[in-house]
Amino acid sequence: MRMIFAAGLISLLHTIAFAQEVEPTPSVDLPEAEVTKVMTAAVDGFIRPGYGAFHRSAERMTAVMKTLCEAPSPANYDSARNAFRAAAVSWAHIEIIRVGPVIEQNRFERILFYPDRKSTGLKQVQGILSKSDETAADPATLATKSVATQGFGALEYLLFGTGSEILSTEKNGFRCRYAAAVAGNITNVAKEISGIWDAPDGIQKAWEQPGPANSVFRNGGEAVTALLGILVHGAETVRDQRIETFYKGPEKAKFPKQALFWRSENTWPSVKGNLEGLAALLQASRMENLLKQSDRPIIASTQALLKSMIELSEQVAPDLETAVEDPREREKLDTLLRQGREVITSLNEGYGGAIGLSSGFSFSDGD
Amino acid sequence: MWRGETIDRRGFLKAAGITFTAALSPRALMALERADAVYAAGFRAPDGSFGIATISERGEIVDRVALPARAHGMAYSAATNRAVAFARRPGTFAMVFDADGQAEPLVITSPEGRHFYGHGHFSPNGALLYASENDFDGNRGMIGIYDARDKFRRIGEFDAHGIGTHDMTVSDDGTLLVIANGGIETHPDFGRTKLNLDHMEPSLVLLDARTGTLVQRHGLPPALRQLSTRHLDIGADGRIWFACQWEGARNALPPLAGWLSQGEDISFVSLPEETTIRLGNYVGAIAVNRHEGIVGMTSPVGGAAVILDAKTGAVLKEEVVRDAAGVAPAARGIAVSSYDGRFNETRSRVAWDQHIVRLAI
Repeated sequence: MRMIFAAGLISLLHTIAFAQEVEPTPSVDLPEAEVTKVMTAAVDGFIRPGYGAFHRSAERMTAVMKTLCEAPSPANYDSARNAFRAAAVSWAHIEIIRVGPVIEQNRFERILFYPDRKSTGLKQVQGILSKSDETAADPATLATKSVATQGFGALEYLLFGTGSEILSTEKNGFRCRYAAAVAGNITNVAKEISGIWDAPDGIQKAWEQPGPANSVFRNGGEAVTALLGILVHGAETVRDQRIETFYKGPEKAKFPKQALFWRSENTWPSVKGNLEGLAALLQASRMENLLKQSDRPIIASTQALLKSMIELSEQVAPDLETAVEDPREREKLDTLLRQGREVITSLNEGYGGAIGLSSGFSFSDGD
Repeated sequence: MWRGETIDRRGFLKAAGITFTAALSPRALMALERADAVYAAGFRAPDGSFGIATISERGEIVDRVALPARAHGMAYSAATNRAVAFARRPGTFAMVFDADGQAEPLVITSPEGRHFYGHGHFSPNGALLYASENDFDGNRGMIGIYDARDKFRRIGEFDAHGIGTHDMTVSDDGTLLVIANGGIETHPDFGRTKLNLDHMEPSLVLLDARTGTLVQRHGLPPALRQLSTRHLDIGADGRIWFACQWEGARNALPPLAGWLSQGEDISFVSLPEETTIRLGNYVGAIAVNRHEGIVGMTSPVGGAAVILDAKTGAVLKEEVVRDAAGVAPAARGIAVSSYDGRFNETRSRVAWDQHIVRLAI
């Protein structure tokens, strides 16, 4: 590197005392070939299959919704509710990816508008139902409406909210056609995201081949730091947004009806899906290969914590009123919060420190 | 930091009302008097706790005050010898302390529906404290006004005329508020997630400090829509320096700093291509040394510190500073800190936070 000095200014500028007049070394300096392997594994082993699976799941949900509208029955109604759960869980797996095309053009919010403390979505969906607004029953025109009326939050109310029992008896009723349009909209957005990731010369290539000409990552360190960021932010979201939104501890106020999918009792399947997504990304990417042997237990201990949380999330009472009031259930919630914090610390400081982020991932994010 | 991690006033006072001179070694206590303190900065201790330290010219820690959560920017009034540390966004507290450590710290909390953005500035006489804040349900930046003569009671607010307000400062005569609206929408429900990277609205704004009336507003051209205008300082000639962070394509070479004056349009500094690359398209802090007519900038992303000529904007020096954090005018030159504990000539067992304020003028 050519250092730039102005004659006579060296003494004037003496106080950058610890600077090194050498080639810059990125904080995260990792073997590029290994980074490429890890990033390729993350993209081809988790991200692209994850969006592909979500797209297929949403397609199935749409088909089941259409069948329900054409042939309403208690059985088809149950099938629609089950398809909703399956698609919501499939989304939960890949939802941890909050970078790239999913956060552009409001795609994330069109799939899931949450948190919604002021119940904006509920009010808008009820408004559409009260007016039988036909523009909401076509995915093309629904896509132009408020994001709060287009995604899983809206669909949950349509399938599980007040008045939803009509779905099992009314043929081609407005509520059912609106629900089918929501499912179709989710499918369209899923297809779009999946297509963007599958295009060989787009974000897929940018993620797999960091370099000076790359529009996303100029070097491997930036790429791996971003991958770690997905895991840290994903773990923070589970703990701080999905659980602490309604439960922060036994002595704190509790808001079970602020939880995601409380109405359909899909809160814990969704949390479990998020946790499984984190574990799967950690596993598929083989991120441990970037660490010294002595640091590799960080991955195993993180996976052990995630496994414990996944198992515990299956055991919490599905009814959240019970989950926050029953002392035995609350113990499980407290454990999930504690272990969630441990996962965040393990990734943030453990893995972050091991790859060269001296103060961990979160502390180093500027602002 | 999620809003859920912020604390209420009672909890804050319980945690923060303790000074930590006792944590210094006897040798350090002998070597350093409070009069040596010329800087203040936030830090994270090895045990993960947070605090504010006062620091000597050489970078030695003089005194510490504990914080229950992470701080970001700081403000100092030479008129009253008071300093303020603002919580990192989306935090809701700010702590006021006497730079000489004679009085107990005082805590300010942002009102309902607002959180601090991490920066603020005193009026020249120290009577008012201005703070950048987020009206998060209205998605608009605000400048909160606090009366320093009345226990920092909040007495009003001005519209910042932009979103994602970050740094702000005050002209030397106290008549203008200068505001950097980073243009990035955030909401405490989503932690620090940037919600609008594909439709950012950065701007630089000058307000009448008495009335809040808009004096000047400079948006950025469409090609620089993803250039977040975030940090500010003012030169001896009144020139307002601003520093930016690029959220667009990583292989682009956007301008990263510039200046403006009242009544004039903004001008960008033409940094050499290699300097822009070295800064990683990201300037985390900027400070002017008025006596020497130089401007310092740091980048934790690129691991670099750069010094510019305050008259011409020409690069005078650029150096590798791994994990570069804060920057401030030094007695001679520019002081720089780092996440890995370095501060000028000293390395301490703390991680220095993103900003430094100079206490001695």
